[in-house]
Amino acid sequence: MTGLPVSTYVLSTGLALILIGLWGLLMQKNIIRMIIGFSLVDTGIHMVMIAIGYVTGGTAPIIDSAVPIKDAATRVVDPVPSALVLTAIVIGLGVTAVMLSYAVNIYREKKSLSIDDCSESKW
Amino acid sequence: MVAAVFHPLGIFIVALGTAFLTPLLFRKREGFASLIFMLALAAMATIAAAGFLALANGAPTIEIETAGIAPPFAINLRFGLYESFFVFAVNLAALLAAWHYLPRLRKHAATLLLFIIMVMGIDGMVMTRDLFNLFIFIEITSIATYTLIGFEREAGMLSAGFKYIIATSIASAFFLLGTIFVYYQTGTLNIDDIIAHQSAIGGPIGFVALLLLLTSLLIELKPYPANGWGLDVYETAPSAIASMISVGVSAGVIFALYKVQPLFGDFLTSIAVVGGITFLASNVIGLRQNNVKRLLGYSSIGQMGLMVLAMALLQQHGQHTHLALIVGGLFLNHLLAKAGLFWLAGVVQRDTVRGWAGVAGKPLLLLVLGVCLAALIGLPPFPGFWAKWGLVMELAVDNLYGWIALVLVGSLLEAAYLFRWFGHALRADDSEPVNVGVAPLLPPAAAAALLAVAGYFTARSAGVVPGQLLLPVYAAGALFLLDGLPGRLKSLAMLAVVAGGGFWVAGDLQGLNRIFALILVAGGLLMAVATLYRGDARKGFYPLLAALLLSLATLLTAHTSLEFFTSWELMTLSSYLLVTLGRDGVKPALSYLLFSLGSAFLILAGFAVAFAATGSIELAALGNAGDSVPLVFSLLALGFVIKAGAFGFHIWLPGAYTEADDDTTAILSAVMSKASIFGLVIVAGQLGVRADIGLEPAYVLGWIGMLTATFGALMAVFQEDFKRLLAYSSMGQLGYIVAGIALMSHLGWVAALYMTVNHFLYKGVLFLAAAGVIYRTNTRLMYQMGGLIKNMPVTFVAVMMAIIAMSGVPPLTGFGGKWLLFNAMMDKGWYWLAAVGFFSSAVAFLYMFRILQTVFLGQRKLAHKDLREAPLILLVPQVVMLVIILVLSAYPKLLLDPLSAAVAPYVPGALLWDGLALQSHLGYWNAPMIMIIVGGVWAIPLIFLLLVSLTIKIQPVKQFNIVYAAERPHRPEDTHYAYRFFAHYERAIGVLVKPHATAFWSAVSEWSHTLAASLRILYTGNGQTYVLFILVYFVALYFANTGTV
Amino acid sequence: MPRSGREPVCASARRYARPQRRATVFDARTGNVNPMLKRLFIFFTLILVAAIFSDVALNYSEHTELSRLAQHYASKGPEELGAANLVTSVVVTYRGLDTLGEVTVLFISAAGVGLMLRRRKHPDTVVPARKPASELVETAARLLMPMVFVFGVYVFANGHLTPGGGFQGGAIIASGVLLLLLAMPQAQLSHRLIGFTESLSGFSYVVVGVLGIVLAGGFLDNRILPLGSFGSLFSAGAIPIIYVFVGLKVGSELSAVVDRFRSDESKPEL
Repeated sequence: MTGLPVSTYVLSTGLALILIGLWGLLMQKNIIRMIIGFSLVDTGIHMVMIAIGYVTGGTAPIIDSAVPIKDAATRVVDPVPSALVLTAIVIGLGVTAVMLSYAVNIYREKKSLSIDDCSESKW
Repeated sequence: MVAAVFHPLGIFIVALGTAFLTPLLFRKREGFASLIFMLALAAMATIAAAGFLALANGAPTIEIETAGIAPPFAINLRFGLYESFFVFAVNLAALLAAWHYLPRLRKHAATLLLFIIMVMGIDGMVMTRDLFNLFIFIEITSIATYTLIGFEREAGMLSAGFKYIIATSIASAFFLLGTIFVYYQTGTLNIDDIIAHQSAIGGPIGFVALLLLLTSLLIELKPYPANGWGLDVYETAPSAIASMISVGVSAGVIFALYKVQPLFGDFLTSIAVVGGITFLASNVIGLRQNNVKRLLGYSSIGQMGLMVLAMALLQQHGQHTHLALIVGGLFLNHLLAKAGLFWLAGVVQRDTVRGWAGVAGKPLLLLVLGVCLAALIGLPPFPGFWAKWGLVMELAVDNLYGWIALVLVGSLLEAAYLFRWFGHALRADDSEPVNVGVAPLLPPAAAAALLAVAGYFTARSAGVVPGQLLLPVYAAGALFLLDGLPGRLKSLAMLAVVAGGGFWVAGDLQGLNRIFALILVAGGLLMAVATLYRGDARKGFYPLLAALLLSLATLLTAHTSLEFFTSWELMTLSSYLLVTLGRDGVKPALSYLLFSLGSAFLILAGFAVAFAATGSIELAALGNAGDSVPLVFSLLALGFVIKAGAFGFHIWLPGAYTEADDDTTAILSAVMSKASIFGLVIVAGQLGVRADIGLEPAYVLGWIGMLTATFGALMAVFQEDFKRLLAYSSMGQLGYIVAGIALMSHLGWVAALYMTVNHFLYKGVLFLAAAGVIYRTNTRLMYQMGGLIKNMPVTFVAVMMAIIAMSGVPPLTGFGGKWLLFNAMMDKGWYWLAAVGFFSSAVAFLYMFRILQTVFLGQRKLAHKDLREAPLILLVPQVVMLVIILVLSAYPKLLLDPLSAAVAPYVPGALLWDGLALQSHLGYWNAPMIMIIVGGVWAIPLIFLLLVSLTIKIQPVKQFNIVYAAERPHRPEDTHYAYRFFAHYERAIGVLVKPHATAFWSAVSEWSHTLAASLRILYTGNGQTYVLFILVYFVALYFANTGTV
Repeated sequence: MPRSGREPVCASARRYARPQRRATVFDARTGNVNPMLKRLFIFFTLILVAAIFSDVALNYSEHTELSRLAQHYASKGPEELGAANLVTSVVVTYRGLDTLGEVTVLFISAAGVGLMLRRRKHPDTVVPARKPASELVETAARLLMPMVFVFGVYVFANGHLTPGGGFQGGAIIASGVLLLLLAMPQAQLSHRLIGFTESLSGFSYVVVGVLGIVLAGGFLDNRILPLGSFGSLFSAGAIPIIYVFVGLKVGSELSAVVDRFRSDESKPEL
């Protein structure tokens, strides 16, 4: 197989996703869309994490008949980023949930979901 | 067993256990749930306190491993001295915040558990040693705060909260991305392990990784201008939550920054610049802010900037040993003061600073507010003072003078807006009074009390023995407890305290210090006797006066510049507060405070430069400063002369002296103003002679003194207000003294000190006499007086003698002062200065003459027909001082010999006596002989006039037996001949007395406000703009640092 | 005529055009920036961020061997903790504190969402009654629900052996609840049951963690129970137990979150 290693694609896609998410955060006036932008940033970061955990030619870090204990250190991918990404996903979920609950309340208070209507305090 | 119970892991276990069970408990009984909640918070604080005490007494750092596996393979926590200190402080603040906010928190199970989890999250941020775990704790804290900000669901909170969520989420995302890149390069997540393998972090990925981490932490600390979201939350969130964000979350983040800072070795300059810009910008913008909580937000952000700056610079220059005192002190100070203020804002519930007029006259509230504000701007005895001192000293050691200037200017700006707020709180207006019971004030009061305690311990760790030095604070505290007693009883208690304390502190001084002790302490006590003339309660007056007089005593005993500066600032604070007690004293008091702080900061800078040059804070070591001497001398001398009301910086003086209570003014002018003279003499003595200072700074000082004398006199001429006239007169007279010191010769110094003593005597008499006149007539305007000689003969005689003693005419003491001064100037060849001096002496005569003429002679107002003599107790000190004036006039040797001996160690020389006549190469001064001659000269016309009045019949005319020929006066003032008495001179020299200085300083203030307006334009309130700022911040940091790694 | 006719037009155009143009670049009073300019600025900033990111991507090279940490986990992990799934051993034990934190995050966000979406004293919107779901959905839900729940339990109970674990299992259970809510919009979840499960499983997790201090090497040590035979269901010490608690907790919390976002007015006052 020639060309770039597979994790580079994942990494680049992740970084691109982050950029798209940032674009959404900055350009979309609708709060729900901004939250989607944030989710994209989050997902992008998770992809970057997965990419970094990949070891060339590695397999899932589970010891079974396919990967005996003695070979584990050479044949599996890094379990740490997988563990981290699990945590990060849950945290992202928590933050998104709180954001959405804010969006619900903002809509109830202002009958609008535009971020431009959220600038009571300034200076 | 005890160790197991108080193990720091207990904090997490208690918090999590309580949080998880809260919904169940809450369902059974709400009250029980909130009780458990408070107990849990108390337990967390207790565990942290026990750990801190043990560690402070030398117990080893507790390394906590989880999962029974050693790091870096499992997450570990650390509970060392610094960690325990931060955790304890935060948990204590949290406990008080919860107490403050419990009525609202207890309504929902969720608020209780979110609050406790938020506190636990902060503790975790402090204790964890794992980078990813740090991220988790940041998120735990953030998510808990998100909901707490907005749970009241008001529109403003929701908007602010959403912006906050977006901004901090981006920051967290950066942190996560940075963490994973760091892991990519180092293969570990343990912070110590990462630092050990720091060399693996490199290349573009390493650079971006570090930058992402750094940006994230800095953004969490709300750097200017990427902090609008934080300000919005400070403004709108419930006070308790805002306080926890300001002091708790920020504490966690700053500790996190401290932990990972070893990785940022190449970025330390950037970090310091970020901190500096933030500190300065938020304090400038704060000037324009009228919303109290947003104001506190600016101050919070500024304080964080200061801590970041201090941490980065100290780390950069290897000053790790000072980190604990400086950053720890700043942190503790900010924590208690800011939290106390936020809670107070929550209790008072007034949005704008103007609305705080409703708290006027509430002693406990004002005390708490005052303590927190004084602490925040770094006044003693609070922790921030010692920390700021340490910071400035260490910055000077590393030659970071620009940074010192930044820190001091920022602090001054902060003082300006914080004390403007305090001013509003002092002055009652027609706004509705605030009704607050004692119970809601307890949490902020506890914060204030803890500030005092913390100040004591910080002082000890700063190497100060707080026994005598903080005596003014103790005395004020003790007298404050007696503040419910009747006025005269309090006055007597104050006199007893000052007499006892003053004698204890300054009783055994020698030489120059003894002479100043006689003026400042004994003289101050004598003037303080006059306070008995008013019998009203005067809330707060006596404790403050005791503090002022005792701080003057401790000032004299200072051996180190730190002791000197501590007393100096205590004097500033107590005198500022005394001025605010005057009828319209609040506004002038603010300008007094700002100029005083400005001068104090110059003094601080001067001491810092000296410390950098000599490595010692002993005052006696000032002379070893070598090449720095001119700079040290200029900074210190400028500081002292500003405080003495030097020309150009004098605009605080007339207002403060005029609007303070009448007896306060007497003490400020006659006594306290001599403190600057003392400072100048000490400093000039230590630096000037031994180090042989060049002529230039001294010569400039001489001109400053003489111009002050001239303009003080000129401005006094055109005053209508009795006290304002005397105030300008004080300014002018101090100018002569400064000029005398600037001569740096034996004769010059004797002249200066002689005039100092003399000024104390006659200005004391004059101000006390004025107090008596004002007390009886209820006005300060001289054209509303007149003919009072018949009602107040004793006062008249006192004023007349004081005026003779002030002017340079024989036979009283004033003549000697001028004679000595001009002799000294001639000796030195400063002819131009002498000429200006002659001119201003002549001008001075105009206003002196006017006092007698306008107040005591001429026609008496009808309303004043039945006025009595001033109260006896006001006359007693005057008579005592007059007697002293007479004795010294006849036998100046009594004073001159000790003075000559006292200054000889600094400026060698001796006075030449021929019998009772003092010799100089220009002539001689025989005081007793002059006394006799002048007595004779005066006696002859007196006898003549007496004869005339006995032989010629004088026909008295009724008051209104003068006819306004054809003229009708337009205003009542015009009926008094003394109104605009010197209007004719005004046409000639009025251009000189146009308020140029006032205009200049107003322009400075105007300009700062304009600057604030343009700096804060960035805070558009738009959430997306704020996100953009964060991204730009990252990009800017990236490009600012490319090439450094 | 044309000349005199044109002039006023120009004058008025100038009069109106000039202040407008100035105000649209930057309005100092309101702080509003020209939207075009702002967009350009955003674009420019994002380009710079993209440049930084591409620098990262271009310099990235895939690891060819495990990191120091991972090598330890792969070679020592199985015998140290007895879990076949290395990710699980990292999640539950090596980085157990993270996981406890993660559970806490979920807990507080569920509580937070509940708090933010609590019933208003005076609801200002009247929510129209829901349409019932189609029969197809309802039937499928009835059929699938038990299987989804069983699968969820399987995933978290076997977390130490196969891909999956407490979070994944909990999420599956919550998706079952979501399905239920879609199929039966009028259904009321038992808040008491959910709250009870949530609190008790969380508290038990902490208790297990504390038992680690008492019985084994430290907080969250899974070796409070025998490691058992490698690869079997009852192995890896307390990991399965912890994952059961985590699974129950995550399942109930996610269900609660989903339920709270239903905009009806029957929510309890939290």
